[in-house]
Amino acid sequence: MRDFDWRGWVQRGAALWRSSLQLRTVAITVLLSSIVVTVIAGYMSLSVGANLFDASRDQLTRSSANATLAGQQVFDAADEGLGLEDLDVMMGEAARVIESVASSTGGTRYAILRTPGQDGPRVPSDVQTQGLGSASLISQELRSVVAESTEQRTYWQSVALDQTADGSVHPGLVVGSTLDIRGTQYELYLVYDIQDTQETLVLVQQTLGLGGVALLALIGVVTFVVVRLVVGPVRLAAETSQRLAAGELEVRIPVQGDDVIATLARSFNGMATSMQQQIMRLAALSQVQQRFVSDVSHELRTPLTTIRLAGDVLYDQRDTFPPATARTAELLHTQVERFELLLADLLEMSRYDAGAVDMETEPTNLVRLVEEAIESLTSLAASKGSELRLVAPGGYFEADVDPRRIRRILQNLVSNAIDHGDGLPIVVWVDSDQDAVAIAVRDYGVGMSQAALERVFDRFWRADPSRQRTTGGTGLGLAIALEDAALHGGWLEVWSDGDNGSCFRLTIPRERGAELRSSPLELPPHDEIPSVEDAHG
Amino acid sequence: MNPRILVVDDDTALAEMIGIVLRTEGYEPFFCQDGALAYDAFKSASPDLVLLDLMLPGMDGIEICARIREESGVPIIMLTAKSDTADVVKGLESGADDYVVKPFNPKELVARVRTRLRPASDAATGTLTVGDLELDVTGHEVRRGDTKINLTPLEFELLLALAMKPEQVFTREMLLEQVWGYHYKADTRLVNVHVQRLRAKVEEDPDNPKIVMTVRGVGYRAGASA
Repeated sequence: MRDFDWRGWVQRGAALWRSSLQLRTVAITVLLSSIVVTVIAGYMSLSVGANLFDASRDQLTRSSANATLAGQQVFDAADEGLGLEDLDVMMGEAARVIESVASSTGGTRYAILRTPGQDGPRVPSDVQTQGLGSASLISQELRSVVAESTEQRTYWQSVALDQTADGSVHPGLVVGSTLDIRGTQYELYLVYDIQDTQETLVLVQQTLGLGGVALLALIGVVTFVVVRLVVGPVRLAAETSQRLAAGELEVRIPVQGDDVIATLARSFNGMATSMQQQIMRLAALSQVQQRFVSDVSHELRTPLTTIRLAGDVLYDQRDTFPPATARTAELLHTQVERFELLLADLLEMSRYDAGAVDMETEPTNLVRLVEEAIESLTSLAASKGSELRLVAPGGYFEADVDPRRIRRILQNLVSNAIDHGDGLPIVVWVDSDQDAVAIAVRDYGVGMSQAALERVFDRFWRADPSRQRTTGGTGLGLAIALEDAALHGGWLEVWSDGDNGSCFRLTIPRERGAELRSSPLELPPHDEIPSVEDAHG
Repeated sequence: MNPRILVVDDDTALAEMIGIVLRTEGYEPFFCQDGALAYDAFKSASPDLVLLDLMLPGMDGIEICARIREESGVPIIMLTAKSDTADVVKGLESGADDYVVKPFNPKELVARVRTRLRPASDAATGTLTVGDLELDVTGHEVRRGDTKINLTPLEFELLLALAMKPEQVFTREMLLEQVWGYHYKADTRLVNVHVQRLRAKVEEDPDNPKIVMTVRGVGYRAGASA
């Protein structure tokens, strides 16, 4: 569960990262600045630390040298004839002088130790500040370096001072030098606590750290503001173009100032205006044209009705006419019918062209719809010697479609199949899956060439002009069928294989508005004339 | 006497042709070319049926339809060049019983006219009850208590069809066949609109029908007798 959450967060973060230019810019800027700030602060901290330590050390070694000098003077000024016990007194005196000269802010401790391995009296004896763990603080290395020194100079070593008071550790410096007491070499060690220097350094580091963080925050805020200033108008432009694309042709970007963003806004608005004008002009034009086609169709209908009535009256009485007149009446009758179909198709096409079609969907059982269509065409098929068969493994549910349009597609496909079926059986498949329902109409007639396949949905295009037609198609049938399929969000596809006939497959999504990915039926469906005996026809 | 039919159409050629067809079938046609005069023509001819073009100069066919309906239940069949939803539904709502879309053939026209003029089915006589309504089948009258409710012949037939088989649920297609005489798929809006008109007259609360009940997804049936 926790793992899942974590992934969710990562995904969300990644999505935000991809989608927000602002976040990306701010994050990258802050990251890069933080690297630079860290490097600078680190360098500054190191060099300040080194400088502070050097200054402190120089000062302390100087003070140590002075103390050594002062201590040496105490012994040098002493009377030659002093007794050995007086030397101890002198030692105390010297120690006091040394302490006063060498005193520092952190407190100074000292030790005067006789260099081991010398002859002569063991006086004066060693002195040292109380509590100075000389053994641990003053290292053997330092002692040997100091002891073997021949020059009058000081040596130093950094040490850690344990604080008995609170257990903390302070940095310290041990400075060693030599004293000559009556020919005997003594070593003077001064132990300085340089905690105050350390504190200064910490303060500097803290200041640097805080300053760095503040600087980064400032950079972040500045970047955010700047990016916002730049990205804001871009985002507005993107939103506006989306609204434009969605059809709100009158939206524009407010223009402010005279900078490059304003130029962008102005040219965007210019583009929108010219697009709007163009679209309006085209819309008006298309409306006029559509109106015209629709008016023409309607105007044609009244005289056509009269012609039709007249033709039918004559047709009904053709038995009483001489043969030539009777045939004339017949021709008039059939051609008026054809004219009427053409007019209806033209009107339908003009509606599609004008985008003035609306679906009237109702729950429809597609298998039943196909059965009805097949039934209505059975006699026509029989007249051409074709048998109509239905194979319906699926599709027995109510699909939300416009039954009028689906019926029209079916009639079209089946009558085409009858026309080109060469009297062989015609099979209609119906099947469905989770997302879609498909109807395929397969004939085993002459089929089509590759060139024909490409043009088969074109208006007024005919597969073979010389071929006799019995169903009296208008040449608009497949074009309308294609539009009908598209209106349902579906596909109408064609397959043909030279002499093995053709197959048209209609696929519609089960739910309105759903996107089609695949069809429940193959194109063409399994290529055998099925021996199913519930064939219709 | 031959049934009289008033043909209201501004296209004289079409009107004349319709006249020829009707006369062949034994009807007596009268003509009117102007929408504004149609109502007067209706008054003077007192026809048994009106064929009415929807697009007329002078007065709109829909308006004429509504005016005739105000005082007469005479069958009205619209001649329309538009099969578009809005116009057809408007015509039906204003009281037309049926419609024929141009271009039509003589058989279609005659079949529509004949269905509307056929004598009421004499399958049933006497009285029937639907809800709190009483149907006098022979007298073509509907009463709620003592109040007479005026129905057009079509509305009466629709109600009668439902009332005669109170147990049966009628699909729209069944009603189209029985009441309108369509033997193949036809416009189910005819049923929807006329059921609404009927409800407006017979129901006490048309939004909550008690006489003509809707059976969801199937059709309609008569309400239970009180």
